[in-house]
Amino acid sequence: MVNKKPDTAAWEPKIVAFLCNWCSYAGADLAGVSRIQYPCNLQIIRIPCSGRINPLYIVKALERGADGVLVSGCHPGDCHYISGNLVARRKFALLKNFLIYLGFEPERVQYSWVSASEGGRFASLVERVVDDVKRIGPSNRLVKEEPVHQNG
Amino acid sequence: MDRIEQRIREAVKDLFHKDRVDLVIGFREGSLPLKSRPVFVRSEDMADDLVWNAFCRGNLAVYLPKLFPPQPQRDEDKKPYPKIGLVAKGCDARSIIGLIKEHQVHRDNVVIIGTPCLGMVDKEKVEAVMDGDAAAQCTEGENGIFHITGISGTKKSVPGEEIFADSCLECPCPLPEEADVQIEGESRKPAAKKYEQVETFEARSSEERWQYFVDEIATCIRCYACRQACPNCYCNVCFTDQTKPRWNGPGDDLSDLMLFHIGRIFHQAGRCVECDACVHACPMGIDLRLFTRKLGRDVEELFEYVPGRPEEQPPLCVFRMDDNQDFITEP
Amino acid sequence: MAAHVVRKADLKKFINAVKKKNTFLGPVSRKGDVTLAVVGLDDELVLSYSNFKLPPKTLLFPKNELISTYDDNGMVEVLPSEGEVVIFGIRPCDVLSLLHLDKVFLDEEFVDPYYQERRRNAVVVALACTEPMKTCYCTSVGGSPAGEEGADVLAFDLQDALLFEGCSEKGRAFMKTYADYLQKPTKADLASRNKISSEAPKKITPINVTGLTDKLEEHFESSLWEESAQPCLGCGVCTFTCPTCHCFGLHDEQYGQRGIRMRVHESCMFPSYSLEASGHNPRNANWERMRHRIMHKFHSTVRNFGDIFCVGCGRCIANCPVNLDIRETVAEVLHE
Repeated sequence: MVNKKPDTAAWEPKIVAFLCNWCSYAGADLAGVSRIQYPCNLQIIRIPCSGRINPLYIVKALERGADGVLVSGCHPGDCHYISGNLVARRKFALLKNFLIYLGFEPERVQYSWVSASEGGRFASLVERVVDDVKRIGPSNRLVKEEPVHQNG
Repeated sequence: MDRIEQRIREAVKDLFHKDRVDLVIGFREGSLPLKSRPVFVRSEDMADDLVWNAFCRGNLAVYLPKLFPPQPQRDEDKKPYPKIGLVAKGCDARSIIGLIKEHQVHRDNVVIIGTPCLGMVDKEKVEAVMDGDAAAQCTEGENGIFHITGISGTKKSVPGEEIFADSCLECPCPLPEEADVQIEGESRKPAAKKYEQVETFEARSSEERWQYFVDEIATCIRCYACRQACPNCYCNVCFTDQTKPRWNGPGDDLSDLMLFHIGRIFHQAGRCVECDACVHACPMGIDLRLFTRKLGRDVEELFEYVPGRPEEQPPLCVFRMDDNQDFITEP
Repeated sequence: MAAHVVRKADLKKFINAVKKKNTFLGPVSRKGDVTLAVVGLDDELVLSYSNFKLPPKTLLFPKNELISTYDDNGMVEVLPSEGEVVIFGIRPCDVLSLLHLDKVFLDEEFVDPYYQERRRNAVVVALACTEPMKTCYCTSVGGSPAGEEGADVLAFDLQDALLFEGCSEKGRAFMKTYADYLQKPTKADLASRNKISSEAPKKITPINVTGLTDKLEEHFESSLWEESAQPCLGCGVCTFTCPTCHCFGLHDEQYGQRGIRMRVHESCMFPSYSLEASGHNPRNANWERMRHRIMHKFHSTVRNFGDIFCVGCGRCIANCPVNLDIRETVAEVLHE
């Protein structure tokens, strides 16, 4: 799924979004139902809880050519499973710092909290993330290229 | 050092004599200069094989998880778990505590033989001191001075501080605090935790940091010595070997290499005791320290957690309502 | 073709001439180590090394080798097409390892086309050892610091010059091609060369392997295996730094509507290598895998190919994180 990136102003980033089923995914649904316009660069993956996110999902998305990764869950205190997002918060804090330390741009992987009633907030979040990723350009760290072979 | 060695041997003999152990893991003389190697002492007579010197690098706690397989996998006659003694430096002991917290080792079946550590010699630093001439011999003399003879015949004498490994120079706990048997002797002064290396690296640009990471990891030969030498890496099937799903490919594709190291090092978050067994095991000399330290520092700063204290829960198993969330994007 | 020399002052000119016609690999400094790599414009040849950390097998048998691609139209084999490669600086022990690998990959009945292509295109210019290491024992396993077996050209570092001897048709043809850069050696040059070949073997501490193959068979069930393998961590350092270890696996990857098949190096020291689909593992315990490795090096290959595959390079000894020493294991077996 390597995103072939044309070198033009028409380039649209591909952003993989992990949204928790109970809040963020519902929030995205609400944005849709309310006909709020927001950029269509997201490829959404619905997960039961932000606490379910294995850090390797985020790293794997980057390896497969995602230009950006967005992770969103319930607000702390509102997790459908009580504490999933609270455990995840610690993991994400460490992962955010670690990836930046290794040389990934801070805007490449972003985390947020969006509740089921925040359709507008979700749309603004997506606009913000797409803007950020457009500004930093296509992902060129960690992307796995198809091995080159001589026979075309 | 010799006195400590003698005391270790006596303590181990005593443990066997009192039937407190079935097996003691320690170090014995190596077959190469600057190397001691693990030994598995199973009786009082073998205790005299044990040595203690400045070449006892490597974390012996790595052998423990395999010796405590989960109950269903044990023999049908349900033999009790063996009683295992371990000649533990500060870092080994911290690892054992970590393994106990993760239920990989039974506290009652481990006898921690706390051994005071003055520091372990780093082969690369010795080679640097000898201007590239590999060491044919290295012996410890009086007052912590080491006498090195190179292959070419040149001799040099240097204080230990110049050739001890970085992890030893920055060690916060050279004397194990949770020992069941405490060996008398002099240990290093605990160092105040310093993360200068991490801070210097953080000051570099994002491109520079990525390029450094790539250049280091590019030499990796996927031997997994780092993983196998690490006491925390006890998964039956490592994520990199899984095929359902397949996280990364085998071989030396750069992206696959990086994914392995990012995954493995991140899996150490909150668990790594910074013993540098991985660094020591790596045949290619990859600067893994720079990356493990970053996680160690963040865990300490964000969650006020340092591995090795038995009463504390692992940081990623607990949470606080006021945990840091500066990383959150507010649209 | 008789021995010829290139004075050190003329070495760069000679190498540049070779580089014009071929890919030229030689000993260069990389990250503080001396490695066998493509000699770039800014690279100086380094001759003051004992041996490379990694064996040269990856030049003929890469760690990741693309062997075929597939799509809706079917599968296409991808043979290597890198052209002639001159490899300079390989030590005689490593050259011998290539001969051993030939027995595996260039068997009469089954020829590995990928290995064969790279082998055909390689000109091996070995460099005789002047300073064997404490971990070396090539003389005990059929080699020698100045051995010419397997080399196309054998070179000697005479301090002020390099002396070249053509050992095979390919080697002699190579020297003929660059005859303009080669001079006749002086008496002193030849004396120097002979001194190296007579002195170097004396610096090696030999090991005993007499009767080892039979003893290994005899003591397959011995408890010495479990005892000696206790410290083994089960990493793959020994296998990946060994010049003759050649276990591999096949790995498929999909990219959209296309896929590729690759051959990748594997290690018998990893449990997953012998794990069967049923879940059964014939070498379930670490010590069983260690026993297998030693047997393969000193027994199975003797039975199958007539040769001990170990070339005495000492890399497994120098690099093992827990200082397991194959020489000691061999001695234990003989002692049983």
